[in-house]
Amino acid sequence: MTEPVVRVESLTRRFGANRGIEQVSFRVRPGEVFGFLGPNGAGKSTTIRLLLGLYRPSFGRIQVFGLDPSCDSVAIHRRVGYLPGELALFPRLTGRQHLDRFARARGLRDHSYRDELVERFTAELDRPVRTLSKGNRQKIGLVLAFMHRPDLLVLDEPTSGLDPLLQNEFISLVRETVSDGRTVFLSSHELDEVQRVVDRLSIIKQGRIIVTDTVEGLRKAAPRTIEFRFASTVTPDAFTGLDGVRVLHCADGRVTLSVTGSVGPLLRAAAILDPVDLTARPADLDELFLSYYRDEAEGVSDGR
Amino acid sequence: MAGDIARLDLALRRRSMYGYAIGMAVYAFVIVALYPSFKNDTSLDKFTEDGSTVAALFGASGPLTTPSGWLNANLYANFVPLVVLLLTIGYGASSLAGQDEDGTLALIATLPVSRRRIALQKVATMALQAVPVSLATVLCVLAGRGFDLAIGTSGLVGVTIGSLLLGIDFGAIAMLVGAVTGSRGTTLGVTSALAAAAYLVSSLAPVVSWLHPARYTSLFFYAVGDGQVSRGLPLGWAAVLAGVAALAIVGCLLAFDRLDVR
Repeated sequence: MTEPVVRVESLTRRFGANRGIEQVSFRVRPGEVFGFLGPNGAGKSTTIRLLLGLYRPSFGRIQVFGLDPSCDSVAIHRRVGYLPGELALFPRLTGRQHLDRFARARGLRDHSYRDELVERFTAELDRPVRTLSKGNRQKIGLVLAFMHRPDLLVLDEPTSGLDPLLQNEFISLVRETVSDGRTVFLSSHELDEVQRVVDRLSIIKQGRIIVTDTVEGLRKAAPRTIEFRFASTVTPDAFTGLDGVRVLHCADGRVTLSVTGSVGPLLRAAAILDPVDLTARPADLDELFLSYYRDEAEGVSDGR
Repeated sequence: MAGDIARLDLALRRRSMYGYAIGMAVYAFVIVALYPSFKNDTSLDKFTEDGSTVAALFGASGPLTTPSGWLNANLYANFVPLVVLLLTIGYGASSLAGQDEDGTLALIATLPVSRRRIALQKVATMALQAVPVSLATVLCVLAGRGFDLAIGTSGLVGVTIGSLLLGIDFGAIAMLVGAVTGSRGTTLGVTSALAAAAYLVSSLAPVVSWLHPARYTSLFFYAVGDGQVSRGLPLGWAAVLAGVAALAIVGCLLAFDRLDVR
């Protein structure tokens, strides 16, 4: 297999008790869109800053293009475009001054792609950025990240503040970027955004990766919702002991269950209670995502 | 590319650099133009004659009616260093810690430029902060030759370099504290307190006998507090100021290498 663009192994960064990230491992392959999904405060931005050498790890190993961000940050930054999560620009400078100064600092002479991006995102360049809305500032941030056609884009919550039309524009830009053979790493707390565009993703919660898989793989593992109606009142006890079954609701002879894996044992347990009706809804990624967010007691798996 | 980060920061600070320079020029010109009215006022010398602590607090010691005494008491012992320090400490605190708090440092720190070069460009910018103010003051003082305010070139050059080096010292200390703490507030507090203490020690040392030996601990003494306006800047004192700046800059480079940039 080709060398990963990003290789993170047992990465740990602590900021006092219960903060930071713990034993994070994943790999990003060349030419893929890799999603990094998690609730606010889960450790997404911390991981990103470690990838870029903005933070130093407490333990563990990071390689970006086979280089260590702690000592080879210049070579890495030359090939990376970064959009920070809480994008901060210089309030008194205009968008154009930002683009010009950063293009010069990167030694970028051909501005045609940059101008094309400005046009696509309808970025406002002539007013000081302090007078711009969040969305308009975000557009400038996106142009800054993409304009030098970097081999790896690291985008922290890239669509925050963008209207739906521009979100679509962003997604087509990401697709073009990977069809060019380049790689995109993007973080988000919104499942919708991620499942529209990513090939694989990691879900991070409280500083730990809880799963890494393709969207399709996750969908297979996602829980289905099954509802039984019984002739008489039943108690949830009949189902609570079953593997992969969670009782969502149980009242008046109706039982709603969230089921992962095989349904055989569940059907056998239900059959004894004489059900009169059954409805099943297909796998729901939202439900899976929420279940990962919710389940405090679940084991932690270092998927790669 | 070389110098882009310095140019960016200079553009961001341009207003305050030139604003202070214009303000200082106006003030210096007034001081210079007032000299003919005071040069024969012997009562003014009585103010400092008996070693007045109040006069010393304002940086005035020695005769006030000589050209160098007049410039020392009204410009170089207090206002010029004060404005120079406002500029260099202000930039020193905002250049690393302040920009990190604002979040803009992340954009700079992810350019293909090493942390060391980023910090060096910011050190150069810091050193340039006070140049317009110092030059504007020098020009006004030179204009004083038309107002009977004859001052030797070595004294003027010496005290100008002294106050610039003083500014660089405290600016570099501010950058060091900023690179260690990442906090603009802490940086401004710590560095301003150090500068205020250094000022008090240097200006009170001539009149408070027990403080006299302590003047060697004050950077103000090496820069402007040892008769530099009349005698120029001794090479040894320039070396002390340059040495302190070098130490603070090396410390800043090492600390910035390890700073967590948000």
